[in-house]
Amino acid sequence: MNKLRLGVLFATQGAFGAPGRDARRGAELAIEHLREEGEVPFEIDLVCADPVGTPESYVEHARTLLEQGCRQIFGTVTSQARKDVIPAIEKHDGQLWYVCPYEGFEANENVIYTGACPNQHLLPLFDTLLPQYGKRVYLAGANYIWGWEMNRLAREIVIKAEGEIVGERCLPIEDTEVSRLVAHVERMRPDFILNNLIGPSSYAFLRAMKNLALRDEHFAPQNCPVVSCDLTECELNEIGLGVADGHLSTASYFDSLTTPENWAFKMRAPSALPQSSFFATSYASVRMCVEAAMHVGNDEPLQIRKALSEQTHSTVLGELRLDAATNHAGLPFHLGRIEGDGFSIIKSLPVIAADPYLSSPRPSLRTGGMPLLRVVS
Amino acid sequence: MTFTPNFVGRKCLVLHRSGETVNVLTRQLSVIGMNVSAQWQALDLNLTPADVVLVDADAGWPGLLPWEFGSPHVPLIALLGSEAPSRIKWALDQGAGAIIPKPVAASAVYPALVMAFHAHASARRQAEEITILEERLRLRPLVTAAINQMMGEANIDEAAAHRRLRQEAMQTQQTLEHVAAALLARGKGRAAV
Repeated sequence: MNKLRLGVLFATQGAFGAPGRDARRGAELAIEHLREEGEVPFEIDLVCADPVGTPESYVEHARTLLEQGCRQIFGTVTSQARKDVIPAIEKHDGQLWYVCPYEGFEANENVIYTGACPNQHLLPLFDTLLPQYGKRVYLAGANYIWGWEMNRLAREIVIKAEGEIVGERCLPIEDTEVSRLVAHVERMRPDFILNNLIGPSSYAFLRAMKNLALRDEHFAPQNCPVVSCDLTECELNEIGLGVADGHLSTASYFDSLTTPENWAFKMRAPSALPQSSFFATSYASVRMCVEAAMHVGNDEPLQIRKALSEQTHSTVLGELRLDAATNHAGLPFHLGRIEGDGFSIIKSLPVIAADPYLSSPRPSLRTGGMPLLRVVS
Repeated sequence: MTFTPNFVGRKCLVLHRSGETVNVLTRQLSVIGMNVSAQWQALDLNLTPADVVLVDADAGWPGLLPWEFGSPHVPLIALLGSEAPSRIKWALDQGAGAIIPKPVAASAVYPALVMAFHAHASARRQAEEITILEERLRLRPLVTAAINQMMGEANIDEAAAHRRLRQEAMQTQQTLEHVAAALLARGKGRAAV
């Protein structure tokens, strides 16, 4: 192989522009670093496509990338876009690298998942929060797969923990009219709020919660945090610096990680601004792909997958390995508290193997579909 | 659906010729946690017990599945590439609760399992309810006879007799039909009211 053509497919404008821009920049930086290191025995060509403002054009862009010889494509932020491009990827026997956290219940042979699924974000999050803040939980979500499924799963976890969902509201995607939602939250006075709103909707909600906390101490972040599984450094500026301070989010990478891998990464990263998990996961994924291609000598998806599952890879997220059965990467869990333009890490767990269909027994879901028995007196 | 459907450790039997369809299904069903086997011969659930059966509806023949028309013993999923009404009818006649189109997309497998298990459970429940209702319908003349007997003996109207009979049924936690049968067996309505 003389040349490896990699496709990058992220919308860098619109509701999910911030994660899209970070993921693209992460991929570009990985190629820049690999070129500098000079150890790759073939040329790397990065072909970027950007479905600006037209989510429905993702599939056309994916097809074009595949026809241009990019069999390995890094891309899509939303589950809808991922689902849209998968048939084209399958048809051309290409491979999609999905780098964003998502709601699980998928394991496609032609997709490599380096973003976390719920047993890597939501479940450990609730294992931490329920004992600490209480079991009266409010669910806010977008009318969209992520919001619906994350809320469903959260409800299941809370019911099994004998807690209570005190309210659930979903807003149309990109809706920033959050006053009724916030009024309901205020009335229900939960112990904490799971925020599955996305993009501008989520930013508006966090801004409104700040105002509510100024009026009512109960809603101060230390008493009633708003917790997310996809809020990262790259969005804090859009919310307004300091506005969401004290609220929580999970990620498999935070800029503030004090690991040797992250120190090394940050020494080389050009920006003084904190990097997000979208940036770091995309960076790590591109490097893993190139390393695997060097190992097998081509970009054939089956061989790349095999190589990825046979050895661990040193990445900025830590040591990662792909599970051959599910094509998901095992990922670490970090819980961060928002502080200015970054996160202060308050809890970390070592690599958790992905379980996209939640088919392994685990403490938070252990009781299956059976009702809990209680001693009554 | 509050609780996440879980198929871990369940036995799944694929009735299909070996090839890409079986390969894709085996991979995806294994990821979901099921124990998968495949064969292309008539099914005998005693020899090859299964919690769910996936059957090739393009090539399935009468007698491939061991149950009577439309009442599968386990959840059934039809694997269908053909659009021919005769093959869709075959799948319906076998009692398929879901379809997975061929060529099989990995993303079609889990939803089909959830739907087939749901359809099977609700068909079972409905069949049981129908059996109970049919039994009650069969015994309905006894209720009429008991009410007539009570009307004559207690000199009350039909509504009052019916009310007394219902009250007795609720107190003894029996069906109206059972109370009526007992009352008639005792020969005298007065004893019961």
